Amino acid sequence: MKYESQKIAQYFFSAAVVLFLVQVLVGTIAALQFIWPDFFILNFNTIRTLHINALVVWLLLGLMGATYYVVPEESESELWSIPLAKFQFWATAVTVTLVVLGYIWMGINPQANIQVLGTNLLNEGREYIEAPRWADYLIVVSVLLFLFNNFMTMLKTKKWSGIQGTLLGGLTFLALMYLPGMFYTQSMVKDQFWWWWVVHLWVEGSWEVIAAALLAFMLMKITGAKREVLEKWMYIEVGLVLFTGILGIGHHYYWIGTPSYWLWVGGIFSSLEPIPLLLMVWDAFRTTRETRNVQNKVGLFYTVAHAIFNFVGAGLWGVIHTLPQVNKWTHGTQITTAHGHLAFYGAYVLLILAMIYVTLPSIRGVKEFNQSRGYHAFWWMTISMVFIVMTITGAGMVQTYMERLMGLDYVSVKATYNLWFWIFRAIFGVGFLVGVGIFVKDYFKIGKEPVAAVSTATQRASA
Amino acid sequence: MSNKAARNLFVFGSLFFFAILVILTFDTLGKVDKRAPEITAAVNAGKMVWHKYDCIGCHTILGNGSYFAPDMTKAVERKPKEYLKRFLMEPKAVNPRATMPKLGMNAEEAENLLAFLDWISKVDTNDWPPKPILAVATKAETPGQVVYQKYNCASCHSIRGIGGTTAPDLTKAGSKYNAAWHMAHFRDPQSVVKNSVMPSFGHLSEQELKDLTDYMLTLK
Repeated sequence: MKYESQKIAQYFFSAAVVLFLVQVLVGTIAALQFIWPDFFILNFNTIRTLHINALVVWLLLGLMGATYYVVPEESESELWSIPLAKFQFWATAVTVTLVVLGYIWMGINPQANIQVLGTNLLNEGREYIEAPRWADYLIVVSVLLFLFNNFMTMLKTKKWSGIQGTLLGGLTFLALMYLPGMFYTQSMVKDQFWWWWVVHLWVEGSWEVIAAALLAFMLMKITGAKREVLEKWMYIEVGLVLFTGILGIGHHYYWIGTPSYWLWVGGIFSSLEPIPLLLMVWDAFRTTRETRNVQNKVGLFYTVAHAIFNFVGAGLWGVIHTLPQVNKWTHGTQITTAHGHLAFYGAYVLLILAMIYVTLPSIRGVKEFNQSRGYHAFWWMTISMVFIVMTITGAGMVQTYMERLMGLDYVSVKATYNLWFWIFRAIFGVGFLVGVGIFVKDYFKIGKEPVAAVSTATQRASA
Repeated sequence: MSNKAARNLFVFGSLFFFAILVILTFDTLGKVDKRAPEITAAVNAGKMVWHKYDCIGCHTILGNGSYFAPDMTKAVERKPKEYLKRFLMEPKAVNPRATMPKLGMNAEEAENLLAFLDWISKVDTNDWPPKPILAVATKAETPGQVVYQKYNCASCHSIRGIGGTTAPDLTKAGSKYNAAWHMAHFRDPQSVVKNSVMPSFGHLSEQELKDLTDYMLTLK
């Protein structure tokens, strides 16, 4: 680490890691509620809201942490203002805590979600963007402070680099695309239309742009590959991401009351969406092959794994049900859930974890660290997630066949025919939780234990 | 290709595709209101009820949501409105096996929510969800089966595992009650089953009721 400012990243990473654990804990509860709906004091809707909101917030915190590391490094300067960055962190943490308490309160007493000034006080009742309007405004302020601080840093030294330009471009696009979720429409069709602007243009637009920029940064740092080559491929990747992804939004507009031309637009463009993701896999392998002397092997491992699972989860598991002819039968089934899990894990969870493994040793000022826990965590999480996705995909196939094609009742398919899939999913969910536990322990230990002592301890343990 | 050329291609190409999205958005927003019934005050109030209770935290609507509970797009076509109103207010009192918790919804909220669900069921969704192949292809063989399909009894009841789970299973209906009981039950369910939530089918013709009763008696 060259700059004192980069320590700011650790605030964001620590909060992200804790929320990751919370997300997977409530996810395990949600998995059990598929088997016993009354399993927990909070109903499924509250647990599920916590599960997906914790996910989005910790990934955003991770991206912010990564940015506070990358921008000083690329600008070759301290941040424009370190106190502002700290203030932004604490303001965000307080807002998130208040929102979570609101969800729990509403979970205990649904009537508490009263209308204030035309919007719901505790929960907006819209998936992923449940945060109430007052929290939306606070989030916007926080993101503006974050962008302002980083742009000022860039302006200070005027050392424009493609990586940080693309990173901040993606983050600006991300911030702008939060706005279409901040107004009320009387028509549910328009409601979902604008809602997809937020959700789709985040995960299949701006977030993938950020991912490509961070991928280039990580490959450069770990392997020492040439910036010019990495940046050129990065431009091609992000270009293709947006050329296919922006109009790929059409695959969400097939059946929600929007005109039928979206069947063509969505079908064609979303079918092409996996191409840039495949290019990123090739990019990662090409760069890695050219380098033999890598010190941070676990960092490289997570980086390449992110590229692969981004392609498999977001690309392949998406494209299998993206054509309207297929989607007509699978839309709204567990197939979507399976895609959601593998896509978020591959594209964004592994991205943030890779970023942590690449930057944390230098933030904590160590060159060597015990890498074995990082691999342990990876295999526990990845094998569990692959099996979770396989069980949900199986459940989705059974559901598509029995409910959609044969006409059986939703509840009987869920409660009877898919029961074993839920049981296996919950078991692998616990496996994933174990992996996250190992990762969290590793996160707090890296750089804080003597390397030699750890290695002997590990050898003794495995002997 | 130079880095600068690649960057320009990315920036201007993305702006080009975003411009197309903006144009299509304007076009779509101008068309969607014509593809749905008018939004009345009750429909809008019902949509707010939908948001207030975070219904999407379990259900899906237009196929989007949480996949934990049934899709609500065509809910009003599957069940009688009187049944749904009582269910929304007291789920477990109406169907003891229901997963849905009691949320404290009052009668006005339930009625508004049903107005909203009625509205959404009439939105032109490009024929989604498609009719199940079996439901379309299965031929009714007896006059009673024709009546059973015509009035969509399978949306609540099931026979040998096929059909809904919210009302009693009819697989053995013929061995439990006689013809007179069935006729009385169809005309006024509460006269023979106290607290029944089944709506009356007294508006059916005498012949239809007889055919349906004959069909029930074959289920043993």
